[in-house]
Amino acid sequence: MRKAILTYALILASILSFSAAGQNVSDLIISEIMPASDSGLVDDYGRRNGWIEIYNKSQGTVNFAGCYLTDDRSDLKKCQISKTDSRTKVGPRQVALFYASGNSADGTFYIDFEIIKGMTVYLVSNDGRTVIDSLTVPSDLPCGKSAARVAHDIRQQQWDVAEGGLVPSPMVVNGQKGKTSGSEKLAHDDPHGIVLTVVSISVVFIALLVLWWLFALLGFSVGGVRKEKKASPKKGSGKMTPEVAAAIALALERELGGEVYAAIALAMHQYLNDSVHDNESFIITIRHNQSAWNHKEQGFRKSPRH
Amino acid sequence: MNQIISSLQQFWEFTGFCNMTWQHLVMIVIGIVFITLAIKKEWEPLLLVPIGFGMIIGNIPMFPGLNIGVYEDGSVLNILYQGVKQGWYPPLIFLGIGAMTDFSALISQPRLILIGAAAQCGIFGAYLLALALGFAPNEAGAIGIIGGADGPTAIFLSSKLAPDLMGAIAVSAYSYMALVPVIQKPIMMLLTTKKERLIRMPAPRAVSQKEKIIFPIVGFLTTAFIVPSGLPLLGMLFFGNLLKESGVTRRLAETARGPLVDVITILIGVTVGCSTQADKFLTGNSVKIFCLGLLSFVIATTCGVLFVKFINLFLKEGRKINPLIGNAGVSAVPDSARVSEMAGREADPTNHLLMHAMGPNVAGVIGSAVAAGILLGFLG
Repeated sequence: MRKAILTYALILASILSFSAAGQNVSDLIISEIMPASDSGLVDDYGRRNGWIEIYNKSQGTVNFAGCYLTDDRSDLKKCQISKTDSRTKVGPRQVALFYASGNSADGTFYIDFEIIKGMTVYLVSNDGRTVIDSLTVPSDLPCGKSAARVAHDIRQQQWDVAEGGLVPSPMVVNGQKGKTSGSEKLAHDDPHGIVLTVVSISVVFIALLVLWWLFALLGFSVGGVRKEKKASPKKGSGKMTPEVAAAIALALERELGGEVYAAIALAMHQYLNDSVHDNESFIITIRHNQSAWNHKEQGFRKSPRH
Repeated sequence: MNQIISSLQQFWEFTGFCNMTWQHLVMIVIGIVFITLAIKKEWEPLLLVPIGFGMIIGNIPMFPGLNIGVYEDGSVLNILYQGVKQGWYPPLIFLGIGAMTDFSALISQPRLILIGAAAQCGIFGAYLLALALGFAPNEAGAIGIIGGADGPTAIFLSSKLAPDLMGAIAVSAYSYMALVPVIQKPIMMLLTTKKERLIRMPAPRAVSQKEKIIFPIVGFLTTAFIVPSGLPLLGMLFFGNLLKESGVTRRLAETARGPLVDVITILIGVTVGCSTQADKFLTGNSVKIFCLGLLSFVIATTCGVLFVKFINLFLKEGRKINPLIGNAGVSAVPDSARVSEMAGREADPTNHLLMHAMGPNVAGVIGSAVAAGILLGFLG
């Protein structure tokens, strides 16, 4: 009973941890905020609004339904993101954009306040208490620039606030433009591929060397290496001499009858059909199988006839 | 009457005959050659039959826009092709490989692991040559992995690094895997002396069940910590092996090495074959890829054999390794090990090398997965 409870508890814990990891709003950050301006982004209604961009740092899709956006630290539940819209998901390493139109009734991706310089925007978890992230729009932000975090290393997810603002880039991951792939980097740094080749071969060798060392160690600790050495007699080399091999061959030839051949054939048959669970390599064991020939019924006395 | 003629004309435009080009015919002929080789010569029939037939399916000339082609979003073939494109078929094949592979030969003689590492030089030799031929580093990495002689790994890596070249790389990898006896044996004979071919190796020790169970866990932890980018392949390989060796998940192991791997082999074979559409496949790059693939096998075999000869310099008499098992470091399991056995028996009919060759052979599987992880980490 105790074992069963423990098993269920473990399963439940893994499911909970998996679901938590899969949709964790704590992986969201406010990546960019643009105050309202005459040259800003045009929303679905043809208006130019400020906007807030949210970025998902994780490798999984995050559902931000029910989370809050606010500009007031004392009112964290100022504007709740729709709980019922299926679009409230942001893919891995992707962004979602909210228009700061001042009226959330305009749609799911519209919020109840407008963006002005000097304000701080908070992203609040769906519990209404936990602040996930906040970003301040500097009061001296130059016109036509946005307050933003930039990924200096997109792989390591290292984000820093851009000093002096950033040229607005709605719906584009900040820092992505300048990102170069590993291939492009290598084409520049290692055009002939020598460095990569040397490093890669070394890593392959190191990985397999470690394995060699570990398995050699394993063989000594749990395998039969040391035991075999102990078991070998002190006198003599322990190797099978040609004379011994010849004697064994002669004995086998004399002893091998049809039954031995049959037993070997049966063992091989069972082994090849994987119906044998042998505990040791190179040793084939025969497991007793029920068949019509050795069934218990064959040994029963027939019931008397009346 | 005019309407009938116009309908017939329209029908004619839909037929394969109207849309056929010589490239389609060439690809269909190649597909038929693959099927013939698989049936007549029994060269990798489980792969060449699906790939060959897939080539024929993928090269039926058709009117574009019918939403049936492998590259047309939402078509049946396209949906099946996602397993290749997104790279989730290869790890499932690795699960099956893990569940059917007995690593005892490797565990009993761990020193043979290094031969599996040496043979991976084929990958990086081909990478250097591909760069010299003007391929971008990511394309060169994808081409180089042909030298790993591991179809699923080649598909996995090329789908990530160079999806456009995947068809040519996959077909090249599987073709050369089928030709392992033809490619490897002459090189082995050329690089070894009669005396070396006669070397007898000590019999491997018995491996306990406990060791077999510990192997996949320790193996996975070690390799995955060193090369986390190889996680999908290494994880599935060792997980499959644990299912096999644990002794308590017999049904899961049987499914992994039986029906599951069969289903995925069918799907991967057919869809890779389909992806070799004439307009994407018959290019100058494909010819280069085939040449580089062949060279990578040659380099891998050469390095494996020469590496054994090199380490023999440091081994005492009686502990020496027969260099004929050096070729088995490429992970074409079990074909390259069979080549070692055949070559060994030609030199001495009583000298069986199969058991010894299986060690580097399965080490090659691990080595190529590690190499793929490294290339993905650097070039991805």
